[in-house]
Amino acid sequence: MYDLIVIGAGPGGYEAAGHAGRMGKKVALVEKERVGGTCLHVGCIPAKTFLRSSKLYRECGESQNYGVRVGSREFDMPAVVARKDRVVGTLAKGVATMLKRAGVETISGQARLVARNTVELGERRLEAANILLATGSRPAVPPISGIGSARVLDSNTVFGLATIPRRVAIVGGGYIGLEFACFFNEIGSQVAVYEMLPHIASGCDRDISSRLLQILKRKGIEFHLSAKVTAIDEDAEGALHYTEADGSQGADAADCILNAAGRAPNVAGLGLEEVGVDFSAKGIRTSDRGQTNVAGIWACGDVTGRRMLAHVATREGIAAVNNMFGRKDRIRYNAIPAVIYTHPEVATVGQTEEELQAAGVDYKKSIVPMAVAGRFLVENEGGSGIVKALAGARHGEILGVHAIGDSSSEFIVAAAVMVATEMCVADAAGIVFPHPTVSEALREAILAMG
Amino acid sequence: MATPVEAPKLGNTVEECIIAKWFKTKGAAVSSGETIAEIETDKATFELPAPVSGTLIETFFPEGAMVPVFTVICAIGEPGENVEALRPKAAGPVSGQEKTDSLAGDHSLERKGWQAEAPAPQVMKPSGSKVGQALSPASQVGSVVSELVLSPRARRFAEEHGFHPQRVAGSGPGGRVLEDDLRRLYYGTPRTSFAARKCMEEGAEARGEGSGPGGMILSEDLGPAPVRMTGIREKIARRMRESLASTAQYTLNASAGAAGLLALRARIKATPGAPAINIGDMVVFCAVRALLEFPDLNAELIEGRIYRHAHVHVGFACDTPRGLMVPVVRDADKLSAADLAARMKALTAAAVQGNIALDDLAGATFTVSNLGGLGIESFTPLLNPPQVAILGVDAIAVKPVRRDGGIEFLDFIGLSLTCDHQAVDGAPGARFLQVLKRNIENVETLCTI
Repeated sequence: MYDLIVIGAGPGGYEAAGHAGRMGKKVALVEKERVGGTCLHVGCIPAKTFLRSSKLYRECGESQNYGVRVGSREFDMPAVVARKDRVVGTLAKGVATMLKRAGVETISGQARLVARNTVELGERRLEAANILLATGSRPAVPPISGIGSARVLDSNTVFGLATIPRRVAIVGGGYIGLEFACFFNEIGSQVAVYEMLPHIASGCDRDISSRLLQILKRKGIEFHLSAKVTAIDEDAEGALHYTEADGSQGADAADCILNAAGRAPNVAGLGLEEVGVDFSAKGIRTSDRGQTNVAGIWACGDVTGRRMLAHVATREGIAAVNNMFGRKDRIRYNAIPAVIYTHPEVATVGQTEEELQAAGVDYKKSIVPMAVAGRFLVENEGGSGIVKALAGARHGEILGVHAIGDSSSEFIVAAAVMVATEMCVADAAGIVFPHPTVSEALREAILAMG
Repeated sequence: MATPVEAPKLGNTVEECIIAKWFKTKGAAVSSGETIAEIETDKATFELPAPVSGTLIETFFPEGAMVPVFTVICAIGEPGENVEALRPKAAGPVSGQEKTDSLAGDHSLERKGWQAEAPAPQVMKPSGSKVGQALSPASQVGSVVSELVLSPRARRFAEEHGFHPQRVAGSGPGGRVLEDDLRRLYYGTPRTSFAARKCMEEGAEARGEGSGPGGMILSEDLGPAPVRMTGIREKIARRMRESLASTAQYTLNASAGAAGLLALRARIKATPGAPAINIGDMVVFCAVRALLEFPDLNAELIEGRIYRHAHVHVGFACDTPRGLMVPVVRDADKLSAADLAARMKALTAAAVQGNIALDDLAGATFTVSNLGGLGIESFTPLLNPPQVAILGVDAIAVKPVRRDGGIEFLDFIGLSLTCDHQAVDGAPGARFLQVLKRNIENVETLCTI
């Protein structure tokens, strides 16, 4: 009899298991593939190592702008993959060590709920007072003929690419599609992005996504917005067929096609129906404390379909563990930072201007160029970016910060603190920002609302 | 020469009133007769018209101030005119701290209940955010500020954190406050977000625990800002509490056949030029008639003495935008049903508009409260002491009645009579209801139109 069985060892599951273990609880962590989950093996970490290499490759090409001349450059795909594997391996070891130290029992296998406190693993049955479902998500497969064929890559299989494609067609202009668009663009592939919506990076503040679109277009990435991919020929020589916003039809003879049409929660085969857990294709329904409708069964991360981000999964998992063992904890979804690791990066937290308008909130805003921070000019020859800040009109409480420009991902957490603690403009203005750093652009954006 | 505007005396018993609202701000042009302020007494709210046209040069009191009647509250004249000579002696400038201070210093005025500032609502407020602002301590133990002895490290902690609580339980020798004592207090008190603090400055109150990081109280965790009771509301509250505390109330419920009421009402509606008497008026009329037979219920109990009244001054509860008011029809026993109805209508209109004379709100010997129009079938009216009885009028509802071996469905009107058992026993109360029931059932002959 365990205090907790966690199903799924991604950043939601393993952090929750470790947290419960450190609280002295008897914890089992069940994983059918590899500990670390999508994030570590086929998500955040591998993508970022690829992007680090592609960025360096691009920068080598632009080094003369910084007064540095280099010889010929070459993108060594197998070496890049090898480095990615090294980084992933190091981190995986770190996770394993953490789990061991926390006293978590890791079990390999596919788990299925058979009762509200019982999990079936092949022949075995395990019982626990609490069960945390953290089974994550998988690449969604939109209803497009041919999208399931072997030649279409997704965010799981793209990391196995051995050569640099000539032309890449990406289905989906969300964060996954955009990050890979950047990667392939930087390593010399032609890139085309097909997005059904009229804008990219859906959910982003429109001032940011439109600038990102502009910058990526300038880099040579081709965008087809409000476009519908109608079919993909299954033979390797075939094309991707699409309809443009104006109704005209086209065919893209890309040699590499990437499905980046979002992710779908892993809710099948878990025994949710049998135990009566409330769920749909969009995920398991949870409260802001991580509870499902069935007492003793909790869920966190992508499987809930709430915000499919690794750090949200971690927060949800830890909050669920706190609540199940008597520490009240509530997840505040209004202060979750998110980053798109394109070049330049996009980093956001809190509400967008569109959300505030839709909610009828009176707000004030400021937009400042990143170039107000000296460090930004130093680091980004020819680069541009903005920080946009939003605050309540009445009290000046900071409601959202949206930035585009390197390295906004590293300072967005400061804005997250401001949003999470409802800091007001006047109070935030008293915080000292180090000089020279890019974060000073955040300071300027806040001061501009004062 | 500027014209002083005084707080009006709105009734014989009114000694002071509250400036509920200024409709015009300092410097605004006003024309004669235009409403410049809303004045509230403990019974009603009135609009104060400008006596002359001109510019509102100065308002001597803020909204919420309680002033004695005949006090000069503002001045109207030419722009730029100096009106300092008109300023009441103890009233300072309207804005700023000085005024409160000058008043606080004047004890003779305090004793008279003079307040230039509305009293601060007595609410529990969690301590403010600790960041950048001194915090009022949650701890009630320990010594007061002047006696606090801080260790050097405690002093440094206090300075660094801008944290200067007035009371701390010092755990050092001789009650000396150590750094640890301050630390515990500083980190142990729930923190409040900046935005929540601003909301709390506007009156919102924390409910339950904070949901932010580390239990921080966020603006979402705050309940709505409480609304200060109006003078009328407070008066109602006090009277109702006194009613329950000082009497021995019981309620009798009965019902009377309503066929006569409905028939008479139908006849009135169908007759052009007939006086407008509604069912509520008819019941009041019937009650007044019944009271003439039961002087025990048309009475007041004051300090052990029962005063039976020869005439019926009937008060009737009236729902107004400002709350419950009870206008009084004097000598109702001398009025015909039509005259009684007309008088009630006129008083109701005045009460709703807020311009009823205060003397029309006093002196009732018996009260009627009618909730029948709102579908209430039975309730417990609360006495208006020193009156010893109050009649609640309920809705007309259909009841099955056994008749000639069968069942008939007839209309009945509910009656809820509350009496003070100190003065009226159950049986006389019940007998009054019997007579009232008879009157209502014979209303067509009792009440000629």
